Amino acid sequence: MNSGVLARVHAGAVAVLALLTLSATLLVSGLPRAMNGAFDDALSRKLDSVTAREVDLSVRFQPGSGNGLGMRDRSAFEQRDRLVRSELPRPLSAIVRPPGSGTSHMSLRTLAAPVMGAPDKYLDMGWMSDAAQRIEWVGGAPPGPPRASGGMTLVEIGVTQHAVEKMGLALGSEYVVGATKPLRLKVTGVFKAKQPDSAYWTHHPDMLRAAVSVKPGTTSDEFRYTALIADASVSTLADTDRQVVYSWILGLDTAAVSSLRVGELLTALQDYRRDLGLIEPSWGSFRLDSLLGERLTEFRTELATAETILFLVLGGLLLVALGVIVLAAQLLLERMDQALALMRARGGALATVVRTGLAPIALSTVPAALAGYALSYLVPGPATPIVHIAPLLVLLTVLAFSAVMMASAHRTPLHERRGDVVSPKPSPRRITLEILVIGLALGGAYLLRTRGVTTEVSEQGQDPFLLLVPMALTVAAALITLRCYPYPLRLVVRLAARRRPAVPFLGLTRAARAKAFSVLPVLILLPALGVSVFASMMATGLDSTQKLAAWQRVGVPIKLTTELEFSAEAIERVREVAGVQEVLPAQTGIVQLGLGAQRFPVLAVDLAGFARIAEGSPVPLPAQPAGQGIPALVSKELKGVTKLDIGWQTRMTLTPAGELAAMPGFFSSGKFAVVPYDANERAGTRVAPNVLLVKGAANAQALLAATGVATQIQTYDQIYSEIADDPLTSVIRTTLLVATIAMAVYACVAVIVSLVISAADRADALSFLRTLGLSTGQAQRLTVLEVSPLILITALVGLGLGLALPSALGPGVDLSAYAGDVAVGAYEVDLLTPILLAAGLTLVAILGALVHTIITRRRTLGSVLRVGD
Amino acid sequence: MEQTLSELEAQALSEKAAFGGDAHIVCDNLVRIYKTEGVEVVALQGLDLLIDKGELVAIVGASGSGKSTLLNVLSGLDIPTAGVAKVGGMDLLSMTARDRLRYRREVVGFIWQQTARNLLPYLTARENVELPLKLAGRSGRAQRSAYLLELLGVDYCADRKPDQMSGGEQQRVAIAVALANSPTLVLADEPTGELDSETSAEVFDALRKANKELGVTVVIVTHDPLVSEQVDRTIGIRDGRTSSETVRSSGGHAQEYAVLDRVGRLQLPRDFTNALNMERRVRLELESDHIGVWPASPSEETGE
Repeated sequence: MNSGVLARVHAGAVAVLALLTLSATLLVSGLPRAMNGAFDDALSRKLDSVTAREVDLSVRFQPGSGNGLGMRDRSAFEQRDRLVRSELPRPLSAIVRPPGSGTSHMSLRTLAAPVMGAPDKYLDMGWMSDAAQRIEWVGGAPPGPPRASGGMTLVEIGVTQHAVEKMGLALGSEYVVGATKPLRLKVTGVFKAKQPDSAYWTHHPDMLRAAVSVKPGTTSDEFRYTALIADASVSTLADTDRQVVYSWILGLDTAAVSSLRVGELLTALQDYRRDLGLIEPSWGSFRLDSLLGERLTEFRTELATAETILFLVLGGLLLVALGVIVLAAQLLLERMDQALALMRARGGALATVVRTGLAPIALSTVPAALAGYALSYLVPGPATPIVHIAPLLVLLTVLAFSAVMMASAHRTPLHERRGDVVSPKPSPRRITLEILVIGLALGGAYLLRTRGVTTEVSEQGQDPFLLLVPMALTVAAALITLRCYPYPLRLVVRLAARRRPAVPFLGLTRAARAKAFSVLPVLILLPALGVSVFASMMATGLDSTQKLAAWQRVGVPIKLTTELEFSAEAIERVREVAGVQEVLPAQTGIVQLGLGAQRFPVLAVDLAGFARIAEGSPVPLPAQPAGQGIPALVSKELKGVTKLDIGWQTRMTLTPAGELAAMPGFFSSGKFAVVPYDANERAGTRVAPNVLLVKGAANAQALLAATGVATQIQTYDQIYSEIADDPLTSVIRTTLLVATIAMAVYACVAVIVSLVISAADRADALSFLRTLGLSTGQAQRLTVLEVSPLILITALVGLGLGLALPSALGPGVDLSAYAGDVAVGAYEVDLLTPILLAAGLTLVAILGALVHTIITRRRTLGSVLRVGD
Repeated sequence: MEQTLSELEAQALSEKAAFGGDAHIVCDNLVRIYKTEGVEVVALQGLDLLIDKGELVAIVGASGSGKSTLLNVLSGLDIPTAGVAKVGGMDLLSMTARDRLRYRREVVGFIWQQTARNLLPYLTARENVELPLKLAGRSGRAQRSAYLLELLGVDYCADRKPDQMSGGEQQRVAIAVALANSPTLVLADEPTGELDSETSAEVFDALRKANKELGVTVVIVTHDPLVSEQVDRTIGIRDGRTSSETVRSSGGHAQEYAVLDRVGRLQLPRDFTNALNMERRVRLELESDHIGVWPASPSEETGE
């Protein structure tokens, strides 16, 4: 028979199958693509968010005393550049920019050259291979070649305006630097960076600004600056005993770093570090100075959690999608059954019959799968093996299932079994298989609890067996549900039998006989509900975690900070801005510990007022300590001292009165202290508030205008959206949402398709009952009562499973990686969303059953009863 | 007279004529038991049946008497549990799957009661007739289907789909489908069950035509006792056994016979036994030309 005819005749079922295959293949090959694309995006954004200095590969060489590399000119630098690049392992060479592009360049600088006669000043010399492109001269002239002057070599230098102001390096002034072979330096020009904010300058901040720090053991400051020298002066530094560091900066092309190759890159970094050490003789060696490895390791930790969650959800989605497609294939098979049975009876060989039946299925699934696969190419992201394998898996499963079903149904030509004689009992083989699946699932769950799904994932990758455990648990729960659900129902049936109305008794009896609903819909509904409940819990858990992190970071709804001081009038003006409910002034400062170089931050605030402003924040706040003097809450690092002598606006002594792990909005780690707002007053000076904590929702511009001084504003909303916009977070959130919606839709489709499959049987039974006097309304109630118990029980089990999955996964679902570096404990479980989800799905399924009975009512009794009699 | 050992040996070795001889259909002590999860339903309980080549036979019986099971066995769709079932010399019990397929393609054709089961609703009459030819990989399909449709008087329906034909036309096309592969045996399961008497006659005419003109053996299963008027021989089935035969003489007169099986068992018609209140035991008397059957007298009943 022409397969096209069969496909055309059953166009509806073919279309449903094609649509489901298309959507499933698009989902299962598109979502991993989008996920990996987003992971890549997240990685490059993460690498972009840190300074180029951290992630660029800086190869440094510091010759030992009395030696040099003989780097007299640019070509020597270039030769070494080629050398260090030639040693790059392949994965690394693919992600560094070529010489002269991006931040790739070469440089040298001297180390800590004291200025003779000025003990608080250090003036170093620096050279950059691409200085000409990076700076412009704003005063004087660019430095020229070195020359002899007064028995010393005179090197001309260029400085920035900042250095001129901080260190008094006026044009034309000369300095003698260096203790052993001193050099005379002359300031000939003042320059400025063309793009001072570009990533490039993170490599040479010391050339843009003079650094000011406290001289150890004193209260006075010292200044350091690195001045620019000309190309010609490089040779002057080559053969001196001066401490010089040569650098070859291999700029990182962040967009080229793939999240899939993080492991490879980490190995390559290790190899490169080792290989660099072997290049030069023993009196000095090249070393790699880069935090790329650390950043990649951090990312890998975050990625492991994301992958675990998403693989689980995608695995569930794949399972559900496969189930629904198989169900749709079953629908088509049921529709074609008569034709195939006739073919077989009329002399069709089994292979011919299977081929004929398979053709319409292939005709609908193959193009649909190809189209879904092709459409997935529209989704940005790299194509991992799963992208190619998943559609193939979907296709092979549906074709294999259909072929096996047809072969077993038409193996013997007459497939009219005497099903009316006895109700079938489960075969021992099937029971054994089910017990095996349940046993495996429970064993796997035990392993999962003890080992955790993300144990050493970053090194060893996901454990496929443990990843399968949640799916196995779902299937086990489905099997137990199918086996056990008639028992409670039979109790209800007994009760219903004693009552007068016949409909509940008949409906529940049919439900308890489990003939109304096949196994497949339960196997679909349960994972769909379980995984979507799990997904929604993850999503809400992520959300609450991020809210917590945002509160942790900003502390209050709005925080205004200035480097100067907020006057009483300014505070009053802020208080009057529309939307402001309350304003609390506070003061922060960096204080000196004792008389040493150690400094730490201090916050002076009224903690009771802080708690009022931060109302609604989930972060707990400490109570203000009471006591004599200036009682302070201190961090762990400052604990154990009875008195803290500090220098703030004046010298004062703090009395530690308690320990504080973190102060929301201000400090999260390291040394810090929180003191009463009037600490400075108690110490004998006045309070100079430089922080305003604002409660309410006011316009940021209005607030800034009201302060009247240069002010920075930080709001909870802004911080929250920053955290929530984290690329890895949004990919998790989007994937969870898409998966949840898809699974909800699949679950509804499963219910409806299975209703359609069992429609003929049900219509017969109902028509028979109607001849016995069953009214239309009773018939509808009967169908609903017949279908809903299993849906209800499945929904409840699915809900329970979804709620239990996170604890079954144990440490595998650690969301703290997504909470903006804030440590997060157990997240809050939001029960409302999953319950609504389960209830909604159940309602839709039952409504589907109701609509179905209303449609079947249209069939006349005569036509129904004639068929098959 | 006592037999010698050599005489007994010679008797054992001598070939006996096989049951049924060269009959087209031979069923000997045929048993079919449906077994599902430990519960057994005996559909055929040792049925004997002989049908000669070219006969037009009806098998009648009440619902559940086993006639459809017999038909399924004969059509090669079902395998009997025990006994002998042969069609044209082919043993239906020992056939391999391949033989069974060849049997369905070459030896047997069948017609079900429901017109919907005989014809695919989305194929035309011609396409339906060509389907078995295609499945058997035969050529000359167009001519064969045109010939059969014309023979059965439904050539005007060739391009119509089943829903554009009357019930009688549909069944006649179904007969054409059954005859497509030139089978030697056509089995029909209640072919007129859904038809009125006038249309039924048309269908019987078609079956008779096939029987006479193509020399095909036709077995019709029905629960309609009036069918005996349409066929040469009517075989009654009761409780999974053949119970009676009605043979129509050439003059059109029908004579009903009871079936005597190979071990001498006989089923008395229930009407007869009821009328004479025969139960448990009867008394037989051999006369010169017949056997008399009397109900046991009351004293005999009580065993006095």
